[in-house]
Amino acid sequence: MQRLALTLLLLLALSALFLGLRPHASYSAQDREQAAAGASALHPAGTDALGRDRLTRVAVAALLGLTGAVSAATLTTVIAAGVGVLAALGPSFLEGPLLLLCDAFLALPWLFLLMMVRSGMPLGTAPLLSAAATFFILALLGWPACARAVHAGAARMRCADWMTQGRAGGLRTTQLMQWHVLPRLGSLLSPQFLISVPAFLMAEANLGTLGLGVTEPLPSWGSMLLELDHSAVMGGSLWIYLPVVSLVGTLVLLELLVTEEARA
Amino acid sequence: MKRAFFSPRSRLAAPLLSVCLLLVALPARSQAPGPGLAWSLGYDPETFDPAKVDDQASELVRYLTAGVLLRVNRATGAVEPSLAESWAVSPDGRTATFHLRRGLLFSDGLPLSAADVAWSIRRVLAQETAAPVAEEFLRPREVSVEAPDAATVIVRLPARLVELDHIFDEVAIEPQNRPSAAQVTAGPFRLAAYQRGQFVRLERNPHYWKHDASGAPLPYLPSLQLDIVASDEQDHLRFARGQYGLLNQPSPDYFNLLARTMPQAAHDLGPSLNTEQLWFNQAPTAPLPAYEKQWFATTAFRVAVSRAIHRADLVRLAYAGHATPAYGFISPANHAWYDPRLEAPHEDVTAARALLASAGFRRAGSGSHPVLLDPTGHPVRFSILTNAGNAPRARMATLIQQDLQALGIETTLVALDFPALMERLMHTQNYEACLLGLANVDPDPNAAMNLWLSSSPNHQWSPSEKVPATPWEKQIDVAMRAQATAPTFAERLRAVKQVQAIVAEQQPFLYLVYPNVLYGVSPALAGVQLSILQPGAVWNIDTLHWAKRKP
Repeated sequence: MQRLALTLLLLLALSALFLGLRPHASYSAQDREQAAAGASALHPAGTDALGRDRLTRVAVAALLGLTGAVSAATLTTVIAAGVGVLAALGPSFLEGPLLLLCDAFLALPWLFLLMMVRSGMPLGTAPLLSAAATFFILALLGWPACARAVHAGAARMRCADWMTQGRAGGLRTTQLMQWHVLPRLGSLLSPQFLISVPAFLMAEANLGTLGLGVTEPLPSWGSMLLELDHSAVMGGSLWIYLPVVSLVGTLVLLELLVTEEARA
Repeated sequence: MKRAFFSPRSRLAAPLLSVCLLLVALPARSQAPGPGLAWSLGYDPETFDPAKVDDQASELVRYLTAGVLLRVNRATGAVEPSLAESWAVSPDGRTATFHLRRGLLFSDGLPLSAADVAWSIRRVLAQETAAPVAEEFLRPREVSVEAPDAATVIVRLPARLVELDHIFDEVAIEPQNRPSAAQVTAGPFRLAAYQRGQFVRLERNPHYWKHDASGAPLPYLPSLQLDIVASDEQDHLRFARGQYGLLNQPSPDYFNLLARTMPQAAHDLGPSLNTEQLWFNQAPTAPLPAYEKQWFATTAFRVAVSRAIHRADLVRLAYAGHATPAYGFISPANHAWYDPRLEAPHEDVTAARALLASAGFRRAGSGSHPVLLDPTGHPVRFSILTNAGNAPRARMATLIQQDLQALGIETTLVALDFPALMERLMHTQNYEACLLGLANVDPDPNAAMNLWLSSSPNHQWSPSEKVPATPWEKQIDVAMRAQATAPTFAERLRAVKQVQAIVAEQQPFLYLVYPNVLYGVSPALAGVQLSILQPGAVWNIDTLHWAKRKP
């Protein structure tokens, strides 16, 4: 099942890559005479309210979302691993302050913080850069819970026999980390990473529905979901649900990966 | 100011009191009252003190509750007697004399006399009240008010004021020394209950002075419920279910949905007095590079940008056809002041490019991604700021973004929440261009003085100028002051047309569209006379009634 989910995810990403980057495809070009049109040869999934090709926009949104979420999840996992291991296995005077820092971050009203940071960004920031900044901020705010879990896992290793034996055998701290600690933490970090990906996808989508996510004309799942926030559009073409279908499909596949990973 | 007005104890007392009052009032009526009318307010009123009203929600509550000396008929524009049975303005325009109706009562049953009127006007004029309407008297501290007898009030002004009688449409008469924040009123309704974030409930004033032709007391409706609902979706659903009798200015998408599902309830009155506009930051203190300030201060640049914008597409795609292309600050709906002879800046990208070239701008690159360079070689790119959550504005900004690409101008769109946006506009001045709307409540251009005078903090493109920054801004100052004091309408009109011509030539604001006035009105609601003037569908609230329930 895990392999199937991974294959389908890869297929989804490759399709998005092909559709989003195919020649003459533009996510921003407005065909104003074909606004809110249904499927046609020129626009296989129809157009949005401004006449932009929906298929291209969904593909670019998927690429952007997956790239951003995977990058943010990688960053957040690295930070969490670093902080968690340092707190558990580093100098003892660091443990308290680092855990306090985790708690302080967990207590932050991150949505308002995110809104403040986004409002404070230079107005001329290019859409792609603002998308990168959004995911970067999400990553910076997303590590504490994971760091707490890593700390708990790493703390159990402090008194493990292999740790004592390794130290007695003359292994340096870096060698212990590289050969013993990190491989053992892998089973903890891998699900944390996989959980973070859909969490960041949803966080960006939520920000988009508040009008604070990725800026126009760059498409994102969030900004495309924003088009569906009222029943006035419900009577239109069924293709308007394509962003929802693609997002839900991606989240289900990621969920399958996480579940299988946890079982493994 | 946002607060619940009743303590827990008086919450019990208020309904009991209103039941008693209704029991007293019922014998005078031929039939039991019909159900009340409900609709939504987008946000909580800032205040219920009628003297301190400065926002649309509070303005609506004041309109529905306040007794005023004179009332402007929103259908005809004529000033009609209200608490004052008659009035006269002296030939020099400096003295207004009002004669009150006999037997006027406040909603608590106590008599209303000239002393109450004089006290209410003086309270509005007093510096400590800080009443926004006082500004309309221009020199409020020099205005004197007398009550020579119980039915006469004389107001003396230091100088002639245009449309003096219109001002009294906004001055609520309250009991002397007992300001009650709309709980004791002389208007058709009084405040019955308020729950912050939930609702404002008004109930009929049993002592309202007005009666219909058959002698039945007005208003017909026993109560009004104004729910605080910020969601168009909820608003629409409640109207569709019959919970609301009115739908006030729905978004174009919802209006189209309403027109499809309940065509008899959907009303598009055409262009409103409101404008949507784009402007560039020309404030000298703005933290922008000098070359950017130079672009924005260049008339040819502003006009070229304006000519590259396809307003018809904005109307069709951003407003689903429910708007009208705008080229000036006075809407064609404002028949008295609109100048149809003004030349509209027809969209013409070639002409726009020529204008830019004449100002020293040049195009680099070719194909589908040209870049516009200014005379010093800087690429022309700027951000357009707007408020988050306004779908038509977001769409307009995206359409303009593509329109300007044809000139080689690159723009980034930024949607901020309203407080962050206002912080940049009013305080830090840290923005390049802004797309926002302006709600014009009063058709008289005099009401826009605070926008056009260069010294005003609301002079958006360059607030609070110590002296006019350009000769044309000085000309606008002179013309606006002239229209405010001219003795005849013809002279005022001449001055206002001069301002329109200067604005069309200089384009400090790039006007985009006049959004249409849209309403949903329950077919069961009778007596509705829709108006483009606020408060729109309820301006004649005292005569609205349910079709089968009219007494």
